[in-house]
Amino acid sequence: MASLFHRSKQRRAERAPVTAHGNINLVPLVDTLTSIVFFSLLTYQGETMMALTSFDLSLPPVVVTTPQQASQVKSEQDVLNLLLAVRVSNDELDVEHSGGGGFRQAIKGLDANSLGTLQALMAQIRQQYPQNKDVLVIPSDDVAYDNIIHVLERLRLAGFTGISLGTRARGGPAAATGR
Amino acid sequence: MGSRGRDMRAARRAAQFAKFRITELNLVPLVDTLVSIVFFALTTATVGELSPVVPGVRLPEAHVGAAALQQLTLGIGPQVTLGGRPIMSTLDAARAPSNDASQPLLIPPLYAAMRVAADSIRRADRIAAGQPLDVPLAIQGDKSMRYDLLARMMQTARLAGFRNLSLQVSKQEGGLDTAAAAPGAR
Repeated sequence: MASLFHRSKQRRAERAPVTAHGNINLVPLVDTLTSIVFFSLLTYQGETMMALTSFDLSLPPVVVTTPQQASQVKSEQDVLNLLLAVRVSNDELDVEHSGGGGFRQAIKGLDANSLGTLQALMAQIRQQYPQNKDVLVIPSDDVAYDNIIHVLERLRLAGFTGISLGTRARGGPAAATGR
Repeated sequence: MGSRGRDMRAARRAAQFAKFRITELNLVPLVDTLVSIVFFALTTATVGELSPVVPGVRLPEAHVGAAALQQLTLGIGPQVTLGGRPIMSTLDAARAPSNDASQPLLIPPLYAAMRVAADSIRRADRIAAGQPLDVPLAIQGDKSMRYDLLARMMQTARLAGFRNLSLQVSKQEGGLDTAAAAPGAR
């Protein structure tokens, strides 16, 4: 029968390769982590991925003009009770809606102050007509995409979630698009 | 004699067992593998669903908006790309005349590429030909692009069957005064 001394000696001998020099062998772990860091740096796109945000577009409202179109309306909720549009040009923002016999307000410029005024006005309209979350944005052809995004951003901040993009009338049919 | 034989048998049995005895259990490779698995699992869960930026496109910046998930992406930079594949130069797209008198905004080469992509999605999702797709199409456009070009791109996408469009832009942290933001604004 092996004594306590021999048994503990035997256990130490068994652990010896794992705990050589009195430490756990960290070399393979360091090797693996180095590989991970190397390939992560090589393929890093995380920051650019996380730095993206999106604006989902909706279909612009359709004005019902025929009995056939009226019959396709399934419920009262599908009927938009306020037609709200923001026209964007390089020197002016025009807000128009059909409430109260018609409303129109022009905001000069397309800078931060003008966008702030637009946001305040749209938030006011949103409070006035709480059931309406839709707005149609109609930029001029020569407006830069950057400016359109700034307008969409302000509309989103004003509480409008159903944003659609349309085009001004031209030779062919309108290019309104979205959901 | 009997006792000696029994001892010998026991010794032989002990020797046989000793051959299969595990004298050490090295856990280091197991730990290494698990560290790798946990790392890549977390990385994939965090950024795997997010959309990458199309190379060569200078995106506009916005402070608000929904998370931009990975979708079929139309890139509009120096080149027009669909799903990372170049279709035509942006200059050619802007100049391309429509071949359909009733759709003056149509860009024929882009329409053809989008129809192929849309038909492929329809086949995969078993959607009848000609039906509009619920699969969203993300648009990553250069911030200097004029709206008339964007309108043509969007109209071409709609005609190809993509009715859900989202504009993906670069997210800017802080800076914008959101004091006037209404409840529900994202």
